[in-house]
Amino acid sequence: MMNAAFPQVRIVPIRMLKPQTAERLLNMLAGIAGIRRMMIHGPGLPKLVPYGPARGRPNPHSDRRAIQVGDAEIALRIQLGEVILEVEDASVIEEIRSRCDGFFVEFPYQLQEGRFMKTAPTLVDYAKYGPDADTTLIGLADPRNGESPVVIWTER
Amino acid sequence: MAYKPQYGPGTSIVAENRRKQMNPGQKLEKVRSVTDEDIVLILGHRAPGSAYPSAHPPLTEQQEPDCPMRKLVKPTEGAKAGDRVRYIQFADSMFNAPSQPYQRTYTEMYRFRGIDPGTLSGRQIVECRERDLEKYSKELIETEMFDPALVGIRGATVHGHSLRLAEDGMMFDMLQRNVLGEDGIVKYVKNQIGEPLDRAVAVGKPMDQNWLKAHTTIFHSLVGTPYRDDTEYIEYVQRIHSLRTKYGFMPKEE
Repeated sequence: MMNAAFPQVRIVPIRMLKPQTAERLLNMLAGIAGIRRMMIHGPGLPKLVPYGPARGRPNPHSDRRAIQVGDAEIALRIQLGEVILEVEDASVIEEIRSRCDGFFVEFPYQLQEGRFMKTAPTLVDYAKYGPDADTTLIGLADPRNGESPVVIWTER
Repeated sequence: MAYKPQYGPGTSIVAENRRKQMNPGQKLEKVRSVTDEDIVLILGHRAPGSAYPSAHPPLTEQQEPDCPMRKLVKPTEGAKAGDRVRYIQFADSMFNAPSQPYQRTYTEMYRFRGIDPGTLSGRQIVECRERDLEKYSKELIETEMFDPALVGIRGATVHGHSLRLAEDGMMFDMLQRNVLGEDGIVKYVKNQIGEPLDRAVAVGKPMDQNWLKAHTTIFHSLVGTPYRDDTEYIEYVQRIHSLRTKYGFMPKEE
């Protein structure tokens, strides 16, 4: 089991971010040492129209595109509403706060501390991934989607 | 003494706007102009220029039963021609959109004839004969009841009315039916159910914050007029709440 004592924070901007801004924000966060896990969250931008008479037709959307974070490419399929982070210790939170204060100048944001991410596998995770699942990756990706988390390597 | 409807309580600008929209005697301010063809494209029920498909023969060609009600109520143009029943649906952002579902239904019931509105928490649909629908839609889109950024014409997949706005001030739409162009004009690139249009339909520039705050019919404690500031409104709602709670016990006002 993972150490549940790692602090977690959530960055909630007052506006939902466009891919360009999301890319800049995530790159800024990727440059901070001491972030263990990061999750982006927001309403989905489906590839196909999900409801109504046009159900199943393609859904072109300019905000559903790939962004480059560090050395990794992330296929964005949500509009970014919040970023959840798990960090090594409380000093990293202050670093995140000071960087975010400089980043969000056009509209405000909130930095909340709390529990926002799974810290231990649930019964469903056990059934899905078995007893030897990598606990660092549990809860980071939608298990129904089949997409795995992206690993960002940064120089330290 | 003749009865004069009051339309609603309240002393705030929001209450004033609600009464203004509901009162059919008040002309709504025309803010933008959209052509008939554009409306037909956004609605997506028929191709522009094509004839109206009909659900039944025109009333003049039909044998109408001898009915006093039919003599009393004049049919609308659409009903006269036997048009199909079609719909338009709106989603209104909670961030100072000029109208909202309940308000839309009240307004339409006071102003339009031959309609069947459906009111939900985040969307409002109105059904009527196709010919009438296009006329009513034009009025709903061209007047102060519409804002290109904060009101969405969404037949399906309406999610977004309670979400934070995007950076450019647009309400979230997972189907991206309308986009804010470089020129600052909002264009519909898909019809209301999310099928791409052959050409973009411009619906004008988003209104500025001051205009929205002065024309909204939604109370919002953070970005607009707080509900608690309108004491008359609260008093009225509390009275209704109290009376309907006591209703089962044969209420008598003290």
